[in-house]
Amino acid sequence: MRRVAAILVVAALALVAVIVATAQAGTKTTTVTLAGWSAGADEDQLLQSIVNTFEKTHPGIKVDYSVINGDYTTAMTARFAAHNPPDVFYVDSSLASTWASQGVLQPLNSYIKSSKFDTSKFYPSLLGAFTVGKSIYGFPKDWSPLAMEINKGMLGAAHATVPKNWAQLRAAAQKIQAAGVLPSGAKPICLSADWARMLPFVFQNGGSLANITSPAAVAAVNFYVGLIKSGLANTPDKLGSGWCGEALGKQKAAIIFEGNWLLPFMASTYPGIQYGVFPMVSQKTGGNLAFTVSYSLAKDSKNKQAAWTLLSWLTGQKGQTLWMSKGLALPSRTDVKAIGGRKNFLIAAKYAHGWGFPHFATAYTIMNNDLSAVITGGKTVQQMLSDAAAAMKG
Amino acid sequence: MAAAATPVPPRNSLFGARLREAGWGYAFVAVPMAVFGLFFIYPFGYALYISFFHWGILGKQPGTGSIGFHNYHQVINDHVFRTAIKNTLEYTAGVLPLEMAMGLLMALVVNQSIRGQKFWRAAFYFPSLASSVAITTIALYLAASDGLINRVFGTTTPWFTTASTATWAIVVLNAWTTSGTVMLFYLAALQSIPTDVYEAASVDNTSTWRTFWRITFPLLRPAHFFVLVVFGIGALKVFDQQYLASGGTGGPNYSTYTAVLYIYREAFQAFDFGMAAAAGTVIFIGIFVLTVVQRLTVGRGEAA
Repeated sequence: MRRVAAILVVAALALVAVIVATAQAGTKTTTVTLAGWSAGADEDQLLQSIVNTFEKTHPGIKVDYSVINGDYTTAMTARFAAHNPPDVFYVDSSLASTWASQGVLQPLNSYIKSSKFDTSKFYPSLLGAFTVGKSIYGFPKDWSPLAMEINKGMLGAAHATVPKNWAQLRAAAQKIQAAGVLPSGAKPICLSADWARMLPFVFQNGGSLANITSPAAVAAVNFYVGLIKSGLANTPDKLGSGWCGEALGKQKAAIIFEGNWLLPFMASTYPGIQYGVFPMVSQKTGGNLAFTVSYSLAKDSKNKQAAWTLLSWLTGQKGQTLWMSKGLALPSRTDVKAIGGRKNFLIAAKYAHGWGFPHFATAYTIMNNDLSAVITGGKTVQQMLSDAAAAMKG
Repeated sequence: MAAAATPVPPRNSLFGARLREAGWGYAFVAVPMAVFGLFFIYPFGYALYISFFHWGILGKQPGTGSIGFHNYHQVINDHVFRTAIKNTLEYTAGVLPLEMAMGLLMALVVNQSIRGQKFWRAAFYFPSLASSVAITTIALYLAASDGLINRVFGTTTPWFTTASTATWAIVVLNAWTTSGTVMLFYLAALQSIPTDVYEAASVDNTSTWRTFWRITFPLLRPAHFFVLVVFGIGALKVFDQQYLASGGTGGPNYSTYTAVLYIYREAFQAFDFGMAAAAGTVIFIGIFVLTVVQRLTVGRGEAA
C-alpha cells in the first residue's frame, strides 16, 4: 500500500513538472532588468508592487527589479563599461546629456514612432531635460520643483505674512529676527551654497544660464548672498544641519526652499513641526528648477523591445497613476493627478527649467565651490559668474 | 630508458642541478609576478595608454584618434588640478610631521616599562584599526556647528565645512588615526637599538634629553626614512576624509579638493577617463620624484 502511494506521488510530481515545463516553453518569457537608486523603503516597495502589476498584465515579460545601493553613478559607469547595464534604469536630468553623448543611452524615437507613444502629455520642460537635438533619451518618471516652506508658528508669532517677492521675503525675515521667536543659533532663512538652490533666483530676475554674466544674474546672486551676509540667512552647515530640510526640522530656520522630497522627510523625522508649503517667491517673473529623473533604455540592452514595453508602461498614464498613489513624487504627465496638498509645487510646471547644463559635473563643481567662496568673501560675484560661463562652455 | 641508465658526467650534473634550482625559483616567483603584472603593470600601462585618448565610458570616443599630450596639457593648465595639488601638498606637509611626532612620542611612552604597558599599546593603536569612513562620519558630527567640540569650547565653527579650517581639521583627525601605525614601526626600531649604547651613555651620566637627541633619534634613521616614504605616499593619496567632508565636491571653495579626488571626479563624475588617467600619471611622476628626493636626502646610506 505504502509503495503504491509512493509511486503515485512520484508520478504526480513528474506530471506537474512536465506541465510546468510545457507551459514555460509555450509562453517564452523575456526577462527585463530594471534598476534605480533607493529613495527610501516606501518607494522601493511601491515600485515593486507596480512592477508586479505590470507582470500580471504582460505575461510574456518578467521584470527583475533591483536597487543599486551606494554610489549610483559609479556603479552604473562600471556596468556600462562592462557592456552589462540593466535594460531600464533611472537617469537624473543633470546627467542625461552627458550619458547620451557617451553613447550609453538608447535614443527612443523609433520606438515612440512604432508604438505611437503619445509624448504630448509630458510637461515640455521635463521632457526637454532628456532630449538632445531631436533624440529623446528617456521619459521623466516624476519631478519636483522648489517651493517655499515656512515654520507657521514662527511666522505667526512674528506677525509676518507669507512673502511673494524678494522685498517681502527680506521684510518677513527681518520681522522674524526682530520678534525674537528664533532659538539661539537659528536664522530666519536657510540658503545652501548650491547653484541648485540659487539658480531659481537668477531666473526670477529674468536671468538665464545662456547669459549668466548678465546684470540680472549679478543682481540675483547679490540678493541671495546678501541675505546671508546681512545675517538674515545662513548655510545649513552653519545651522548645524546637513541640508535646509533638517534646519527646518531642528527649528534652526523659519523659511527654506526645498522640493517635494521634504514632505515625507518631515513626516517621518520631524512630525511635530507645523509648517506650510507656499509657492516659490518670484520677482520680475516666476523662476524655478525642475528636478527630474527618467526611465531610460540602455544602448547595450539585449531585450530592447520588451524593455521599451516596460518603460512606456511605467511612464504611461496607468503606470504613473499608480506611482503617484502615495504622494512620494509629482506627476510628469498632465493627465495624471497629484495627490492633495501638492498644488504649490505643481504651479511651477509652467516655468520651471530642467536641472542640468553642459559639462555638468565639472561646471557644477566649479560653480558651487565659487559660490561658497563668494559667501565667505573670497571671490566676487562677477568672478564666479565668468568662471561659470567658461565652465559651461567646457 | 637507456638515457636514464647512462651515468651523466659530474660537471653536467652540477649544471643541471643549478638549472633545476633556478627553474624552481622562477616557478615560485612566477605566481606573485603574474598577480603583480595582471593587477599592477597591466593596469598601469593601460592607464598610460588611455591618457593619450578622449576616453569615455565605452572606451575611445567614436571618431577620435590619439590626441597626443592634449589631456596632459589640459590637466596641467586646469586651475582646479593645481589647487588640488596645492591642497594635497599642504595636507601632507601638515599631517606627516604631526603623525611622526605623535607616533614617536607614543612609541617612546610604551617602550618604557610603565604600568599597563599592553593597555596603552592597544589603546594607541586602536584608532588605526577602525574604519576611516566611520571615524570621519563621527568626527563630522562632533565638529558640526552645534556639535560636541563647539559646545565644549563655546564656538560655532563647522570645522570640516569651513574653507579656512577644513584641511587642518582633517590633518588633526588623520594624524590621530594613523599615528598608532607609525608608533608600531618606531617601536620595532626602538627595540632593535642595541642596549650597550645606552649603557655607555649612562656611564657618562648623559641626561635623558641628550640621550634621546644624540643617540635614540639618530639611530632611528631607518625608521624615519621608512615612515616618511610610506606615510608620505599615503598622505599624498588622501581621499576618503575629503570626499566625506565635502560630499564629494571638494568644497567649500576647493578647500578639500585633493589630487585623488580630482582623478575620481574626472573619471566617475565627468566620465573623462583620458583626463583622469593623465592626472593619475602626473601625480605618479610627482610621487616618484618626491620619493627619490627623500631617498637621496633622509635615506642616505639606507638600503630600504
